[in-house]
Amino acid sequence: MASQDIHSERQHHIDMVMGDVAPTVLIPGDPGRVEVFASLMDEVKKVAEKREYITYTGKKDGVPISCTSTGLGTPPTAIGVEELIRIGAKNIIRIGTCGAIQDFLKPGDMIIATGAVRGEHTSEEFISMEYPAVADYRVVRALIDACKQLGLPYHVGIIRTHDAYYMESPQAHGDFFARIRPWQDLGVLALENESSALFTICSMQGIRAGTILASGNPIYTPNADDCDWDGNIRKMVQAGIEAAKLLHARGLA
Amino acid sequence: MEKQHHIHLVPGDVGETVFLPGDVSRAKIIADHFDEARFVAKNRQYITYTGSYKGIKVSVTSTGIGGPALSIAVEELIKVGAKNFIRIGTCGALQKYVNLGDIIIATAGVRGDGTSREYFPLEYPAVADLFVLEALVESAAERGVKPHVGIVRGHDAFYVESILANVDYLERDKPWIESNVLSVENETPTLFTLTTARRCRGGTILTPVGHHLFPDRTIPDEDVKKAIALETQIALDAAVKLAGKV
Repeated sequence: MASQDIHSERQHHIDMVMGDVAPTVLIPGDPGRVEVFASLMDEVKKVAEKREYITYTGKKDGVPISCTSTGLGTPPTAIGVEELIRIGAKNIIRIGTCGAIQDFLKPGDMIIATGAVRGEHTSEEFISMEYPAVADYRVVRALIDACKQLGLPYHVGIIRTHDAYYMESPQAHGDFFARIRPWQDLGVLALENESSALFTICSMQGIRAGTILASGNPIYTPNADDCDWDGNIRKMVQAGIEAAKLLHARGLA
Repeated sequence: MEKQHHIHLVPGDVGETVFLPGDVSRAKIIADHFDEARFVAKNRQYITYTGSYKGIKVSVTSTGIGGPALSIAVEELIKVGAKNFIRIGTCGALQKYVNLGDIIIATAGVRGDGTSREYFPLEYPAVADLFVLEALVESAAERGVKPHVGIVRGHDAFYVESILANVDYLERDKPWIESNVLSVENETPTLFTLTTARRCRGGTILTPVGHHLFPDRTIPDEDVKKAIALETQIALDAAVKLAGKV
């Protein structure tokens, strides 16, 4: 049983207290991307740094927004998300990269997730596999509208979250196509490693969550088109910031 | 094309949006809300009416109770040209703040059903289509209705998880009650997984007619009828929005 003052304690991993983060927090996996966020804000300061959890909080066009890196995979993401909720986060938006698995996806396309295949095990420790990993529809709408405002191409649909990168990626052992093909047939847009735990934990606690991912080339044809990863990641972070502003304007922050 | 094995329909028999009540008697009740409607087919529990509403072609097909029967209807309706599916139904409420006769719009379903497991691994999400969901939420708001929007649970065995159950149903409900699941019914996860995988659009609108936390509460038949009528009106408005958008 958690102690009664879990909300007022300094959080064990993210090293922050209530008031350190804005109602909307963007969560990249990569700690390096927190710096991209910082570079796009009007004013910003580093609030905390411990393990893979680095947090900046600041303002863009008057709207307070935070960014906390949560590391790679669902185990540290679950910790980060749980602790962010305890100190007052209301909207948590994953910003990240992925392996696209549909032929129609192009480098620079933004993928906005409505739900995620629960191919990881962390969320199962929280609740049985029957429970849906679903994004909040208002966050999904904010991300769509943000992409429209910024003129970014986007796709909306389900993605797959899983644990073992070297089982399902172009560098994987064995026949990774065989593992991925069923998901491709079922309409899954892309593979990544965090969203299903984010969605599950947030739905269980009544917190709004969403995910936007920058696509490269589909993983079957990794070199088909030139891919400006850095430029695309920057655009994706911009979309996350715009979505945070829209949620604020819509009374959801 | 030969008529479909169970629903007895051919291409052209239904509109792009089809409403799916579980209860056979509700096919006609729902069709009565169309501007005009004609009876199209009846086989087993599958009764279909097609007509128009505000200039668009709409249909209703009753599916019977449960995932097995619903999956057959949806598969065959897709073959004859249906694209958008809106389940209109009843459920058992799980949360204190949900009252009998309220309107619930599902964002996703807990996959407690066996049918979707036979089709898809359990980790595959049962999510509503965003456009159907938004169309239902907007249509409810336009009618001054404040719906509960969230996750519902679909499962198979009514008599182990309802207020009429022979076992301690609250023990079974506990993880779902604690995880913001609004209500329990029997078809939604089957509908959502199947429509997602088949690149169609699925949505669900429900009204609770029993309450798991307050099993003594009842709702008069007249009020159930009113709630079903309201669900139908919201679903029809949503169908009009989808015709313009999708």
